[in-house]
Amino acid sequence: MAEVHLEKVVKKYGELEVVHGIDLDIGHNEFVVFVGPSGCGKSTTLRMIAGLENISGGNIRIGDRVVNDLPPRARNISMVFQNYALYPHMSVRENLGFSLKIAGKDKAEIEAAVDEAAAILSLTPLLDRKPGELSGGQRQRVAMGRAIVRHPDVFLFDEPLSNLDAKLRTQMRVEIKKLHRKIKTTIIYVTHDQVEAMTLADRIVIMRNGSIEQQGTPLEVFANPVSTFVATFIGSPPMNLIDGVVKGGQVVFSDGTSLPVPPRYSAAEGQRVQYGVRADNIMPIGHALPPEEHMAELDMTVSLSEPLGTETILFGEISDTEIQAKMLNPRPVEPGETMRFQITLDKCHLFDAESGVSLRT
Amino acid sequence: MFRYKLPPWLLLLLPAIIVLAAVVMLPLLLSLYSSFTPYRLTRPDSLFKWIGTYNYEKALTDSKFWAAFGRTIVLLTIALNLEMLLGLGLALLVSKVTRGQRALRTMMMFPMMFSPVLVGFQFKFIFNDNVGLVNNALQSLGITDQVIPWLVDGKLAMFSIIFAEVWTSTSVFAILILAGLYAIPKDPLEAAKVDGCTSWQTFRHITLPFIMPFIYIAMAIRSLDVARAYDIVQIMTNGGPARRTELLWTLIGRTGYVDAKMGYANAMGYTSIFLAIFFTVYFFRKLTSARNELGMGG
Amino acid sequence: MDANRSHRLRAHGLKLAHLMTLFVAMSIICLPGLWIVLNSFRPTVEIMAKPPIWIPNDLNFDNYRAMFAGAGEGGVPVVTYFMNSLIISVTSTAIAILVGMAGGYAFARYRFRGKSAIFVGLMVTRAVPGVALSLPLFIVYARIGIIDTHFGMILTYVAMNVPFTIWLIDGFFRQVPKELAEAAEIDGCTRWQAFWRVEFPVARAGIASAGIFAFLTSWNEYALASQLTRSVTSKTMPVGLLDFTSEFTLNWGGMCALAVLMIIPALVLTFLVQKHLIAGLTFGGVKG
Repeated sequence: MAEVHLEKVVKKYGELEVVHGIDLDIGHNEFVVFVGPSGCGKSTTLRMIAGLENISGGNIRIGDRVVNDLPPRARNISMVFQNYALYPHMSVRENLGFSLKIAGKDKAEIEAAVDEAAAILSLTPLLDRKPGELSGGQRQRVAMGRAIVRHPDVFLFDEPLSNLDAKLRTQMRVEIKKLHRKIKTTIIYVTHDQVEAMTLADRIVIMRNGSIEQQGTPLEVFANPVSTFVATFIGSPPMNLIDGVVKGGQVVFSDGTSLPVPPRYSAAEGQRVQYGVRADNIMPIGHALPPEEHMAELDMTVSLSEPLGTETILFGEISDTEIQAKMLNPRPVEPGETMRFQITLDKCHLFDAESGVSLRT
Repeated sequence: MFRYKLPPWLLLLLPAIIVLAAVVMLPLLLSLYSSFTPYRLTRPDSLFKWIGTYNYEKALTDSKFWAAFGRTIVLLTIALNLEMLLGLGLALLVSKVTRGQRALRTMMMFPMMFSPVLVGFQFKFIFNDNVGLVNNALQSLGITDQVIPWLVDGKLAMFSIIFAEVWTSTSVFAILILAGLYAIPKDPLEAAKVDGCTSWQTFRHITLPFIMPFIYIAMAIRSLDVARAYDIVQIMTNGGPARRTELLWTLIGRTGYVDAKMGYANAMGYTSIFLAIFFTVYFFRKLTSARNELGMGG
Repeated sequence: MDANRSHRLRAHGLKLAHLMTLFVAMSIICLPGLWIVLNSFRPTVEIMAKPPIWIPNDLNFDNYRAMFAGAGEGGVPVVTYFMNSLIISVTSTAIAILVGMAGGYAFARYRFRGKSAIFVGLMVTRAVPGVALSLPLFIVYARIGIIDTHFGMILTYVAMNVPFTIWLIDGFFRQVPKELAEAAEIDGCTRWQAFWRVEFPVARAGIASAGIFAFLTSWNEYALASQLTRSVTSKTMPVGLLDFTSEFTLNWGGMCALAVLMIIPALVLTFLVQKHLIAGLTFGGVKG
């Protein structure tokens, strides 16, 4: 159990700087998820914390120790790799006990620790198998077991679920969450899947091009994205963004339709902006949530509908931009049907068209 | 104090570099130097007499040298191509077999474990005009009552040498190409069948491009080892009869050790070294580009 | 109906042709070797008989007996040659594997400038023809006095085998995911421990096969050995084969017996590792 602090951490490969001075404080037992598209520096940052990459600048502290130049073994961390990285020549039992054996613990102690970890992850019947004889999900659990036997200060996960199929992924997600409850350790988890990030994290750290774009609880990040990047990255389906110009308190789109500037947002007259609205906040009237204080309405022709059961995603267009809307209590919708939609302005967003930065006041 | 830390990769490569520098590069530098002297084993002081490019001029104007050079190129070209084609054929034959593939593969490796000297003796024996296996068989079967001078006639001797060389090395190709055949994904093959390709078309457009890198690996391996043919030739004919199967390597050996003209031999040796390096670099290049085409690089 | 039938007939015909070709090919591959084995049990007189004796009527172990009887009756000191070959091949293989492991690991795990150039550079040293190399080596070895010694031969064979062991071992280490070593480091290993406890055991089979490849090369080498060895103190078996020849006579039977003695270890070792050997060459080469 320990805090992790990153201070102006920089990573350079030769001339190329891939991580630009990251500052981050991670608390005791916090579950932090780094999320971002590939190449955003999230894995590199994790590997720097692990000591698998040396840092080119700044400080990394685990607990009250500066670990900048310590090798991985001296940091008391453990890590679950994307490809599990189980030792193929050792049985599950040996895999689990390897770190303790290296540390020179005596046999009884190792056995007890291995049994405990195996019990937590229900690996006990598999202890004498080799990794080659296990299924993907089982290997995943062994990898986690190997990480927990040592009772490390910090747990690092590097895209641990990306090699599993969709169903197993959901299942393992729940197991990881439960594991965190049980063992109470600081966890840093890297993924490119925003659903994993949303469901697992106490705090999400969204990275982009080697910098932190935004951090906050999943709900904060979802409700108040600081930029179009975060707005489209977090949430499914991604937030609709429509180009427009501010004129007299309205955002006017290229086809002439307009929507009011959302409450708590402000923009200069004539400013080019992007209007952001999630599918959950644009719904056909009669198939929507009860209206709130600030509402707007507009007509849209549905070009395609995707029934999902409890809801249907409707595809339409506003000023040449594809819009996804959500329909509750769905009924069949024919392509070409024009429907009237209600928009919850309180949940809409406005971004500067140039910089993509949120215009929230 | 000035301390420069070597990068770990260099540290790891250092033993290899040192050994190769000591046992290969250094002697080669010496031979480069001695190729500019009239060095004779019997007269050590001749090592210090500089005669410039005399040895090279002598070699380049020596018809025996050019005959050996040409013959070496011809032998390599014929042998390598033949080995490649036969290896490909053999690999295809074996890959189509449904049962006993393991046993066949094992048998295929048989010639690889023969020392080239042994191969030389073996075929010298088999092609012996008087008591050799081939002539005995031909005569016993009544195909001919002539004594065919396999190793005496120049053309037949070349044929016999190529046969021996192909016998030893075809399996290298066959085995690597077979590995390539196993590695071909099933999907494109099946797609081609459904798209109406004949077996030839499937082979030409799908199988062959896929196994090309494997062929180049085999070529690269062979090019590293191609001078092993020296052992075979040395035993079978030793460049004879009357130099009609003289290759660069036997010529070098004879000039250096029998005639003791080390300087001259080293000058010719350098041409054979450049030939070998050319082949090696060429096939490694091919290998890299074939690899990139299939997206296996990096 | 007819179309089906003709297709079926054709398929049968092709299958027959396929089996026939395969049989002929395999015969050509195997017969010369078997002929040697057979002849090692026959007296030279019978091998050389004219007209030929096809069905051997006198199979015995005389050649082997004579071979192991040693130099006493003007024979060839086979046992000494065998020991020379064994000492030189085993020692040089062990060293070549260690050097090759270091080099192969460097190529498999580190990125550095000029990597492929260095790689090809190392390979090229292997391509230098033995004869061309033997001339200057002979001069150098004679000068520093290690000609006709085990040490000289071992050194030579290490250099000869290193490029190839690097190639093979590079391929095998590449098959070992980098994350394994990283996981080991996180589990508390030093880089050194991570190598010996995780990466090495995983790649062990492959490294063994590289070793066998190196062993076979040393075991069978002739061009260099024939110049750098002079006497029974260091002559290896391939060079020893020539002892059975003299100006006018050729002891075929004895030579075949020695040949069999040479082939047996090679045969056993090759079969042990054939699978890994192929994998090593192709992985290292293709997945560069």
